[in-house]
Amino acid sequence: MSDSTTDIGTRRSAVAIVQDGSKLKAVELGRQGGIFEVLWTSSSEDGDLDWKAFELECSLAGEQTKKVEAADGRIVVAGFNSTGVVFYRIEVPSVRKEEIAAMVRIQAESRLPLSADQMELAWRAGQTRNGKAPVTIAAAKREQLEKFVVNVRGFEPEKILLDCEGIVKAWRTFFSGNERDAVVVSIAERNTQVCLTQNGRLSNAVVLDMGTEDLSTITRDLLVSGTSDLADQTETTERFVQDIRSVLELFGYAEPAGLPVIVLSDDSAAHEVIVSCLKSADLNVRAAYPQIEKLDGRTSPGPEDIYEYRVPIGLALTALDGDTDGLNIFERLYIPPSEAKSKRRLYSPKVAYAVAAVMLLLLLIVFYAVDVASPGAIEKRLNKAGVNTNINMLIQRQKLIKSVASQRPNLLELINQINSGDNKGIMLDKLEFKKGRVVSVKGQTKNAEQMYKFQKSLLATKGITDVKIQNADMDNKTKKLKFTMTFHYKNFTKKRALR
Amino acid sequence: MRRLSQQEKRTLKFGAICAIAIVGFAFATHWLGHWKKVRDLRAGIKDKLKTINVDETKRAGLMSIVPVFEMPEKEEKQKFLFRDKFNEQLSSARIKSEPLQVLPAIKSGVAGYKLLRLKCSAKCSFGQALDLLARLNENPYLVGIEEFKIECDQKKRQEVKLDLTISTFVK
Repeated sequence: MSDSTTDIGTRRSAVAIVQDGSKLKAVELGRQGGIFEVLWTSSSEDGDLDWKAFELECSLAGEQTKKVEAADGRIVVAGFNSTGVVFYRIEVPSVRKEEIAAMVRIQAESRLPLSADQMELAWRAGQTRNGKAPVTIAAAKREQLEKFVVNVRGFEPEKILLDCEGIVKAWRTFFSGNERDAVVVSIAERNTQVCLTQNGRLSNAVVLDMGTEDLSTITRDLLVSGTSDLADQTETTERFVQDIRSVLELFGYAEPAGLPVIVLSDDSAAHEVIVSCLKSADLNVRAAYPQIEKLDGRTSPGPEDIYEYRVPIGLALTALDGDTDGLNIFERLYIPPSEAKSKRRLYSPKVAYAVAAVMLLLLLIVFYAVDVASPGAIEKRLNKAGVNTNINMLIQRQKLIKSVASQRPNLLELINQINSGDNKGIMLDKLEFKKGRVVSVKGQTKNAEQMYKFQKSLLATKGITDVKIQNADMDNKTKKLKFTMTFHYKNFTKKRALR
Repeated sequence: MRRLSQQEKRTLKFGAICAIAIVGFAFATHWLGHWKKVRDLRAGIKDKLKTINVDETKRAGLMSIVPVFEMPEKEEKQKFLFRDKFNEQLSSARIKSEPLQVLPAIKSGVAGYKLLRLKCSAKCSFGQALDLLARLNENPYLVGIEEFKIECDQKKRQEVKLDLTISTFVK
């Protein structure tokens, strides 16, 4: 374990956890400037694949680097074993990303071994050549991925990556990998991963079910016999060489002599023999050994540890580099805790209250702005409408007109109303109107009955009320009944009509 | 540097909230005061506009009663304008009246204005009297009829004695 207290402000670290053969392996890799430091490594017992127990083990190991975590945060990534992942290579026309996605889905669905709803896939487009873009598709059974998510959820990984991406990354960083196109062979205990890289990126991968356990027997035999005659290779080595050839053909290299085949090696004799076997099969093979120049020499482990933890180290490197174009086959199945937290934060009542408060404040500001702006806007509108006269003058005029209307009796209408009623036999002599006094009508008739009818007809007239016969006397000379009637006409005859 | 305890953090938070609340209160009080003033001003303008902007039905009603209107002038000017216009209306109705009598101005119901009355006595036919009444609204200075007396001649019933007092606003 290393001391991580120096210059913690600029250091970043990543923890990668992966199942490598029959072991679970974890590494915390720190980076400061261009120098890497393996902060701790941890692996479970052989055959112990209990993720929960390993989680505890890793958290204890991580305690040592707590200062790093506190300072800059620590990225955790998990590696998914590519054994259950199939890769396809297709070519699509050079179009927009959304269109590529649709094309990829259609083409992939026709090739997938299971129905599309049972599979998850991820794709990555390469550089366009002659109007065509190569696309790497990785597909895996959804159920298998979901199980893996359940296993690693306790680690709260920021990302789940394919372990073969880690192998390629580790090769390029710690095994001096600089070829643009190459095949990287990583031999584990019980399997061998063969990864094709094009333009420095993973474009295909196959896992062979033959590992160091199978090959070490031959190697041991060869070493014991002390002979270098490789013509006596056993059936196993032949099968291994044949498998590698088949894989190269699958990758599209029928004549693989020119394609570099890199065997990641820990400089052990076993690897030497394997490389020799492959060379004898006319393959352009070389071994690549761990380089520790990029590691902090004071604290980091030796080449053998780099080799041992090459897969998690590669994954940690990917996380530190912040690669965003990885084949994220878990995109729809796993939400990283940081995203989940931000989503949770978004839906929390506190956010709702804050939004409501801001909305309320905005509402107040809008109301205020409207109130402040409206007097000016009204004046502007009045000017625009041509009402340039002083508004107070207009108001005064309107008031006067209303006042005049309320003080102007329509006497023509009154006379018409009196005449149009039941006034048969009535002869009117005089009509007198004065504001604030009752209207007085003097007339004559032959009999009282006609007078009463006239009174009734006045009462039935709109605006006329309180019709009274003031006096009615029979004129002996003319033999006519002379009468005076008074009544109120609207409000003009009431006392309040007087100013 | 020593890390702050939970209690100290709480105290700091409370202090910060109080400081924000005090500043906010001072600002909000000032702001609300200004807003109230603005709202009062706006309400005043709206009231004024409401006075001017009567709806179509009311406007039509007012126009039927007061089809023409001129703003009142000072008494010296207004009384002549009013008298001349009324005289013109008498002539139009072919009514020969006795000299028009200007009565002293009295207090009116509208602040800032007095009511000046004009008295007319004439003998005319009933039809001429009705004609005059029909034309009165066309006088832009007329406020209203204060007094109206019409009396038939007992011998010639088509002839009437007309006494009319009309009013106008003066400043």
